[in-house]
Amino acid sequence: MTLFSYHSGGTLWHTLDVRCKCLMVCLLSLTVLKAGLPGTIICLGVLMGILKTLGLGPARLVRQLKGFLLLLIVIFLSRWAGTSGDPMVTLFGFSLTRQGFSSGILVSFRFLVVMLLGLLLTVTTRSMEVKAAVQWFLKPIPFIPEKRVAVMAGLSLKFMPLILDNAREVNHAVNARCGNLRKNPVRRLIILSWPVLKKTFQSADDLGLAMQARCYSENRTAPRFLQNGKEGWVLILTLIFSAGMLLTDYLPA
Amino acid sequence: MVSELLKTDHLTHTFDSGEAGIFDICLTVSRDDFIVLAGKNGCGKTTLIRHFNGLLKPDTGQVLLYGQDIQKDLTFARRKIGMVFQDPDTQIIADTVFDETAFGPENLNMDREKINDSVNSVLALLDLGHLRDRNPATLSGGEKRRLAIAGILVMEPDLIVFDEPFANLDYPSIISLVKLCRKLHQSGHAIVMTTHDAAPVITLATKLVVMDKGRIKAEGDPVPLAPCLESYGVRNPFTPVTEVWKL
Repeated sequence: MTLFSYHSGGTLWHTLDVRCKCLMVCLLSLTVLKAGLPGTIICLGVLMGILKTLGLGPARLVRQLKGFLLLLIVIFLSRWAGTSGDPMVTLFGFSLTRQGFSSGILVSFRFLVVMLLGLLLTVTTRSMEVKAAVQWFLKPIPFIPEKRVAVMAGLSLKFMPLILDNAREVNHAVNARCGNLRKNPVRRLIILSWPVLKKTFQSADDLGLAMQARCYSENRTAPRFLQNGKEGWVLILTLIFSAGMLLTDYLPA
Repeated sequence: MVSELLKTDHLTHTFDSGEAGIFDICLTVSRDDFIVLAGKNGCGKTTLIRHFNGLLKPDTGQVLLYGQDIQKDLTFARRKIGMVFQDPDTQIIADTVFDETAFGPENLNMDREKINDSVNSVLALLDLGHLRDRNPATLSGGEKRRLAIAGILVMEPDLIVFDEPFANLDYPSIISLVKLCRKLHQSGHAIVMTTHDAAPVITLATKLVVMDKGRIKAEGDPVPLAPCLESYGVRNPFTPVTEVWKL
């Protein structure tokens, strides 16, 4: 089971109506794109706290999101080096600016918050619920086959952990034969990606057969949404929290 | 009462890729049968059983379920013939044991209350009730196999087809699965099981079918037929282990 797999539980987040969770995630993601650094840091802190109560402490997050954190560092460095302003340090003709530093930190934190929001959704929501929510949100839109799109969304969520699992397994097999000694990252990527793709397509094929064998059709029993009765409160608090995040920009320094 | 459940009539299937197929297979499964389909890897066992519920379409010949060609009503065929795949991981679709078991009845557009009732009773029958909210990825190999069976049983099949069910299972899980198969057979389900190790089920089987190179080479009473398995690359289940491994 990977970090992004569904972790069963009975917390507020697990029992919340999936539509409410989707709205909450969308609202916070949009807010964080507008909020400044203080608001983003507060949101990050709150999210880390919620994830900790779900058994995903900072140590586990750092351990399992190494690749993503590396990407954030690259984004930060490129922002730092690519934004003009007052130079902090000059290296080989490149000026690392104060403005670039703040912009890099802000963009990286925003990415991190959006990713953690997605993580909060996937670890507390079954793919069947996500499928049902997608179907519900798309139903009023004409000319969109909502059932088919919902199945695709559900299966994509199901495949994300599977691909990560396959990649980990192939990585272990490659390292067991000293593949880690290869220094060329492109060559390493090619060595990894071919078997991962092969395994993933094979799994997709097998899953298709299994679904067919169990009479899969688009005309299925209508999904039923679980509700814990706190959806209204959660949405109101999310709205207040979002407004608060935006208002932190106007606080005196 | 008509006891013939499934019949394959001169079934032939070849693959363009050059993989071995099956040739002229005639096999009858009765309502009270427990058939062990034995043969070495690549002999066509899986190809054959995938024709039973129309996952593969034959080049020639047909599959009859209660005397009707299955191609006329594939949904009926897939309800009545449940298939447990070799690797339960690839069969698991949902994120909880309950949702996974409910997948089939939901496809049949059954009423929600009825789905809940049948899923709960099947989970209780297979001793999975306490795991209903668990993510299937966290289950043991034996539990996953039972979950795959639950997903089939809830659709109330008449015939259950197992594809190499003992692959990757530890000894206690094999024992528990054999007991479950006996229980299912006693409760009126016909069973077809492919395997390259007939030992765990040879005494339960009512018929042994031996396949080699895509053809049925022998079929009949399991115990007298068992010694011929060796000549088709399958261990005779009655040969003592000490003798088998005398290299």
